[in-house]
This record gives sequence, structure tokens and C-alpha cells, in this order.
Amino acid sequence: VVGVDHPAVSKPDQGDREATIGRLSRDLADAVERETATSEVLQAIGRSAGSLEPVFETVVHHAVRLCAADAGMVFRLDEDGYRLAFGVGGPPAYRRYIEEHPVPHGPGTLVGRVELERNAVQIPDAAADPGYEWREALAIAGFRTMLGVPMIVDGTVVGVIVVWRSAVDPFDEQTVTLVTTFAAQGELAIRNVQLFRKLQERSAQLAQSVDELEALGEISQAVGSSLDLDEVLTTIVTRAAELSGADGGSIFEFEPDAARFVLRTCAGTGDELLADLRRLRIGLDETFVGEAAARGEVRQSPDLDAEPADPYVDTLRRHGWRSMVAVPLRREQEIIGALVVRRRAPFTLPDATVDLLETLASQSVVAIHNARVYGQLEQKTRELEVVSQHKSEFLASMSHELRTPLNAVIGFSDVLLDRMFGELNERQDEYVRDIRSSGRHLLELINEILDLSKVEAGQMELDLGPVSLPNLIDHGVAMVRERASRHGIALESAIDPALGTTMGDELKLKQVVLNLLTNAVKFTPDGGSVRISARCGDDEALVSVSDTGVGIAAADQQRIFEAFQRGDRATRTNTEGTGLGLTLSKRIVELHGGRIWMESELGAGSTFAFAIPLIRAERPRAAASQGAARGVAGSVLVVEDDRRSADLLGVYLEDAGYDVAFARDGVEGLELARELKPAAVILDILLPRISGWDLLAQLKSDPATSAVPVVIVSMVDEQGAGFALGAADYLVKPVDRSRLLDVLDRCTVAGRARRTVVAIDDDPVDLALLEAVLVPDGWRVVRATGGEEGVRAVRREQPAVVVLDLLMPEVDGFSVVEQLRADPLVDDVPIIVLTSKDMTGTDHDRLAGQISFLARKGALASQELVALVSRVAVTHGDA
Amino acid sequence: MAERMLVLIVEDNPRNLKLARDVLNHAGYDTLEADNAEDGIALARQARPGLVLLDIQLPGMDGVQALGHLRADPATRDIPVIALTAFAMKTDRERFLAAGFDRYVEKPLDIRELRHHVAAALGQA
Repeated sequence: VVGVDHPAVSKPDQGDREATIGRLSRDLADAVERETATSEVLQAIGRSAGSLEPVFETVVHHAVRLCAADAGMVFRLDEDGYRLAFGVGGPPAYRRYIEEHPVPHGPGTLVGRVELERNAVQIPDAAADPGYEWREALAIAGFRTMLGVPMIVDGTVVGVIVVWRSAVDPFDEQTVTLVTTFAAQGELAIRNVQLFRKLQERSAQLAQSVDELEALGEISQAVGSSLDLDEVLTTIVTRAAELSGADGGSIFEFEPDAARFVLRTCAGTGDELLADLRRLRIGLDETFVGEAAARGEVRQSPDLDAEPADPYVDTLRRHGWRSMVAVPLRREQEIIGALVVRRRAPFTLPDATVDLLETLASQSVVAIHNARVYGQLEQKTRELEVVSQHKSEFLASMSHELRTPLNAVIGFSDVLLDRMFGELNERQDEYVRDIRSSGRHLLELINEILDLSKVEAGQMELDLGPVSLPNLIDHGVAMVRERASRHGIALESAIDPALGTTMGDELKLKQVVLNLLTNAVKFTPDGGSVRISARCGDDEALVSVSDTGVGIAAADQQRIFEAFQRGDRATRTNTEGTGLGLTLSKRIVELHGGRIWMESELGAGSTFAFAIPLIRAERPRAAASQGAARGVAGSVLVVEDDRRSADLLGVYLEDAGYDVAFARDGVEGLELARELKPAAVILDILLPRISGWDLLAQLKSDPATSAVPVVIVSMVDEQGAGFALGAADYLVKPVDRSRLLDVLDRCTVAGRARRTVVAIDDDPVDLALLEAVLVPDGWRVVRATGGEEGVRAVRREQPAVVVLDLLMPEVDGFSVVEQLRADPLVDDVPIIVLTSKDMTGTDHDRLAGQISFLARKGALASQELVALVSRVAVTHGDA
Repeated sequence: MAERMLVLIVEDNPRNLKLARDVLNHAGYDTLEADNAEDGIALARQARPGLVLLDIQLPGMDGVQALGHLRADPATRDIPVIALTAFAMKTDRERFLAAGFDRYVEKPLDIRELRHHVAAALGQA
């Protein structure tokens, strides 16, 4: 049916027609057979992911059959010519012969000619061909007519398909085309296999890289977060052995005083060897480990049996170990120790693995150094604690001893001044008063020393209760009014009545206010003025006292809060005051969680101020602060020399509630990081003065800053180096806002909780809506579709805000509020209720004072909802 | 004229002893003196004073232990005792009152305060 339009069908003769039809049918059958063969080869290619054999087998079988050949074979290019890859047909002796003898290059063979021609080549009669030289093969096989077609991959003839007949019977054009098609399919198969192998290789490399990165991440985290040296070193040596394919490993620490190495930790090491290793004392000279460490070079021993004897090598040999690599641990020129991995068989490590071991070695150095510095710090701290304890005991006992004689000084003065034993003349009266006032001054001094020592010994406790700040300040003003008026000093007070009541120790706060007022009056010349003002700041009470006194020189301001420092202030009466009042005030304010500071200029008076957190006895939860969200999420230090990049990062971070500090170069970055101890550092790499890499390394090697997560934001994409040096994450510029905030949320401790909202609603559509509104603003939304699930989620996540529906089956919103408020862990998490319930008076009563906000579902626009959530979270975070 | 009241002062520091004695004598009280707890207890049993001023920090037995002895003996059980102390901790006052002292006077003594406490303890305030 298919062939009816063939031009050959036009012959009218019946016999011709039958012949033609017969020929056409055969052609058709041939065509179908070829198509079938081609598709079978293709299928074989598809099936044979990693192997060529099945493809060649299919190709050769079909080729021999379709070409009516006596034999067929595929030769593949090899080092010494073309080797048989697969063959059928021909006498067995021939097959053996070509299996053993690769076909040589050059025009003397069919395959050689195909290689040269890079095209299909036919030899009509090999026996009659004067140029044909592979006579031995010809004699064994008896081939006459031969056809060869090249398989070319990447410009090289990588293989040749050969069919031959043992009679002289040249292959027609169609056959040549057919074999050429098979050759093309063979090329495809070879290419496939090559790609597949490359892919496998790459996958293996990738898997190795991922393993290495994971190990490095794990280790740098361990180095940064843990000061348990053994734990860190064991992690390192375990991963070092794993990643280098070794059977075991050790880390030795060098003891400089004894000039020897001692075992710190081991991996993959049996108890007996461990016991032996622990006994070993490896010297610096003429030992394998010692030489590696002393020279600062990696030393490999592919076969320990070839090494000169030393205590360590001998021990390993005795326990059946055959090869090892020793990597020096050095900090600059100082020898810290050595990292060793070893195998039970002879082995040489590839360079890439040696590099990896060096990276791990540098991590070990950081860990050991951290631990040493930390150990010294701990030791110093313990010593200081003991000293401080002794000092406190000494002061307490001294104060007792001092009060006893003062009893007589003050008491007998009183007796005389009371005229118990007769009248005193004017001068006697004056002198006895001097004695008594000196005694009282001394007593005041002793009392304050005792108070201070109590603070320092941690024995001063606050007696907390509600304190009315306006009353407290009025009381202080009343106490100094008389003295002020005596010296013609105007005393003004400006107190914000909204200041109200806070939780605090009333007596001690009175002491602070009185101290500041007394000082101000004392150091203000007659006729001057003193002003006290008090107001609400951002959730704190600010009290400041200004005077028109002589002021304090800048050089003295730093020390003014230290004990016995008054600055060079001229006092009216030199006997007044102890020089401890400000020190004590500072400690009291700090015990309240506040801060105290001063501003002054010589000749222009001084202002002393303090701030303490306003802690309302009963906090009105719905009172929303209008302040910006700054500082809620913690502080972030941005180390970036490019102003525009820094500004952009600043905007992103401040919007997300971080307090942002900037450093313009590496040195400043290091200083600020040490000073601020930020929640995270954002670090550029290309920086003036010291580079980001150096800064990162220094931050990570200093125990004071090693726990601060560092996020690298750079044009330079060197994630591997970043992670190896201990970066928490690595972002390539330009930085996407949400990606940056995500990373920070993940790596800062509080970040996660601070940007989390738990949404509780039985309607999944409403939950999805909330998520759609809040997620773009940087919130992480945890969904709960029921009350019980919601309460669990809030306890688990400790979120910044809860958004709650009231009408839910089983555990409803009212019950959720009750459960959360009864749980001290989450009783202060702000709750926003969004409901479609018609609220009754009883409903309102049930929620009164328990929630931050109540709105009907749909009443708030998206932006209003976002603003509400931020505001409620801020109020909560600042409280 | 009413009978003069007798006050026993137990104090190891001679100057402080003298101070308390002078102040009380001048205020019209008779005084007995002891410079240690044991002698003080013996004197109290023997002379039955109307009031004891007892220093806390004494050589050997301290004031708190001495109070225990006075309270344990029916002969001295009802005599009011005022603690005299140079300890200055806030909690000390509570500690001494809890130990059973009737009053507590902090050193250095304010002589007006001392007179007030003595009079009050003797029911003459």
C-alpha cells in the first residue's frame, strides 16, 4: 500500500509489474527491518547507562544480518592500535587472533585506512589489494570484501565498525549508508558513556566536597561555640580520618617546657594502642611527628616499614599500622602540636586531601589557642573572685573594728556637748564639734565602703516593691532644700506626672537621687542653680540633675564613677562627702538594670543622669508604644567600606528591628566587634587595612568574639574559604533583602523567635491569608489549625506575637488565652485576637487585660495588620 | 525619791564601757560592769539588775550565747536585755531581735538614742 506511488510502478508489462512489486515489497521489508534495527540500537543505548557492550552487540548483530555479511566487529581505539570490542562470525581462530592482536595504524589495514580517511572505506577484494598488509589475519579469516565505517567523537576516530564477506561481493550504497547510521549510533553511545562517567566522577567529587564542607561547618561551629577542647579536637580528628579515608588518627599537643608531644585525642584507635600512645613522650628531634611540626611541613609516610625507628613509629608498627600523614599544628612560628591520620595499609594521600587536612589542622590550632586563652582567663577570674571575696570579708571585719573606736569618739563628744560634766567655753565647744563631725564623716565613709563591698560580693540585694518616682524625687528635693537655700541656690524640679510607679528598691533609689542632688548643691557656688527633671523615655524612667557648678574636666569624667574620684572639684567644705556616693549610685542603678552617666564642661556646670527600666506593677498590655522597632532584634555590626552598600544594608537591617553599627575598615570592625559584642557581624571581604578574611580569623580565634556569628557579604565568591574560617553564612553581592534577614534570623540566637508569629485559626484560608500578609514583611509564620496545637506551638516557638481566632472547635480562643496566660513560660507573649464572633460583654470581660488587640476579621487592611503585629512585638520586646 | 534603777553593762572595750556608764549614771541610773559574758551572767544572777546592756562581740562566749544563759535561768529570765553591736548589716537587726533581745542599739552609740532605749526597756518611756 505504501509503495504504490513509487515511480517504478509505471511499467505496463505484467511480468515486470510482478517483479517490480516483488522488489518493492522486499525494499519495504528491508526498510522496515532497518528501521527496527536502528530503533533497537537506540533502545540499547538508552538502557546501557554505563556500558557500551550491549550497544556494540546490538549494532554488530544487526549489521551482519542486514548487510548479509559473514562477520562483523567493532574495534575501539586503544594505546597500541584498535582493539576488538565485540565481534560475531568468522572462524574461531580469527577471533582469537584479533583478540590478541590489535589492528595497527596505517594504510596497511582496513581499520587503519578508515582512521586515515575518516570516512567509510570498502576493500572490494583484500586478497587482490596490493596495499593490504595484514596478511596473517587475512590468511586465518579468509575475508575478501570488507567495509569499514568510522565512529568519530570529538574529532578522533575512536572506533571502527567492520563487516566482511568471505567471497568477493562488494557492499552496495544502501548497506554503506546503513552501517554509517549504525556508526553514528555507536558514536552517540560512546559519547553517552563518556558523559555518564564524567557525571559519576563529578557527583563523587561533589559528594566529597559536600562531606568536606559539612565537616568544616561542623568543626568551625564546634570551635566557635564550644570551649571543651577535647570535644572539638575529637570531632576534628574523627572527621579528618573519615575524609582522608584513613583508619584512624590522633592529635598531639606540644608541651614547650618539656619539649615533647603528648596525645590529646584519638579516633579509630584500639584501647591497647591508646594506652601505649598515652605513655609515649615524643620528642622534637629525630621523630616523624617532631620533624613535621618543627619544619612546619606535612610529612607523609606511604609505608611505615621504610621509616627510621622512633618511639611513635615503632608503636604504630607494632600495632599493625602501615602508613601515616603528620600535619603540623602551628600558630605563626609557635609549635602547637600535630594532627596525624594513619592506615593499616601502605597508602599515599592525594594533594587535595592533604590540603583538607591542613585546613582541619588550622581549625585545631584555633581550638587549642582558644582553650588556652580561655583557661588563662578562667584562672584569672577565679583568682580575682578569691581576691574579691577576701576583700569583702576584710572590709566587713574592718568596718566593725573601725566602728568600735568611733563609738567612743562620737559618744564622748556627745557627752561633752550635752554639758553632762559642766559648761564648755566657746573654743572647747567648737573643737568638740569638730571632733564629732570628723567622727561622723569617718562613719559615713565606713558605711559606704561596707555597702560597696556588699555590692561587689554580690550580697547587696534589692528589696523590690512599687516605687512612686515623683514622690521619691520630691523627697530628695525636700532633703536638700534647706541647704540649697542657705547658699542661695535656686532649686527647680520638673517631673512628668505620667512617670508613675515602677518596681524598684525605694530606699536605695532615694539614696541615688539624694546623692546626685547633694553633690549638685555641694559643688554649685552660692547663688547658682540646681535643676532636677524626670520623664519617661522608651520604657524607661530618665532622671537628670544639672547644676551651674564649676564642671568637671574631660580627663576626670571617665573616672568620676570610680571609688574615691571626685574630680578636681572645689568643694565648699572639704570634709563633706566620701567620694563613694557616685560609685555606690552607679552600682545601685545597675542593679536595677539601668545606667548612669554624666555630661560636663569645665566652667559650664555638670549634668548627672540615670535611667532605669520602667517596670509597671501591672502592665497595660494594650498600650502600644509609638517608638520605632529599632534595637528589638539585637545589634548588628556592618563592616563595609563602600558607603552605598553599607547604607543599603543599614536600611534593610534597621527596618527589621536591628540596631546597626558600622565600621569602614577591618581594624575598626575588629575594635567595634570586641566592644559591642553584636548579635551578628556582616562582613565584606575587600576591606582597607586588614581584609575580611583576617578579620574573620581574628574574631574566630578570640574567645570573646568567637561565638558571634559572622555573615560574609561579598563580591568575591569563596564560600569554601568563608566556611572554613568559621563564617556562619556567605552571601554574594548583590544581596537580596529577605535572604539577608533569613540568614540573620537563622544564625542569631534570638532572631528566630523574634521574627516568629504563631497564627491559630481553624480556617486554613485565613491562615494562608495571614501568612501572605506577614511573610513579605520578614515574619516567619507558624500555623496551627486548632487551639491545642496552637498552645503547643506557642510554647515551642516562644514567638514575638500570637494571632488568634476565637471560634474554634474543641479548644477555643478564650481557652487558648487562659492556657497561655497561666503558663509562666509564655504568659507575656502578646496576643492579637482576630475574630468574626459577635463579642458580648462577657466575652470582653474574659479577655480584658489578657490580650494586646482585638479586631474583627477583615476589619484591618494588610498594612494595618503588619504595622499592628510589629508594634505589639516591639512593645513586648522592649518591656 | 524613787529607787534608782540598776543597769548591768557587759562590754569588753573599756572606753565604750566607760561611755555607757557615764551616760547612764548621768541620767540617774546605777550601773554594774562586766567585761566578759561569764562575769556578766554571774553578776546578773547575783544582783538581779532591772536591765542588761549586752555587747554582742565579746571574748569567749558571745552576746547571743550569753542571752541564752540568761533566758534559761529562772532567776534572770525576765530581765530585759538590749543588744549593743557594731555589726552594720541590715539583716543583723532582725537576726538579733529573732535571737530574743528586747532591743537593739547600733554602735557608735547616739547617747540620746541610748537613753531613750534604756528608759523604754525599763518601762519609764
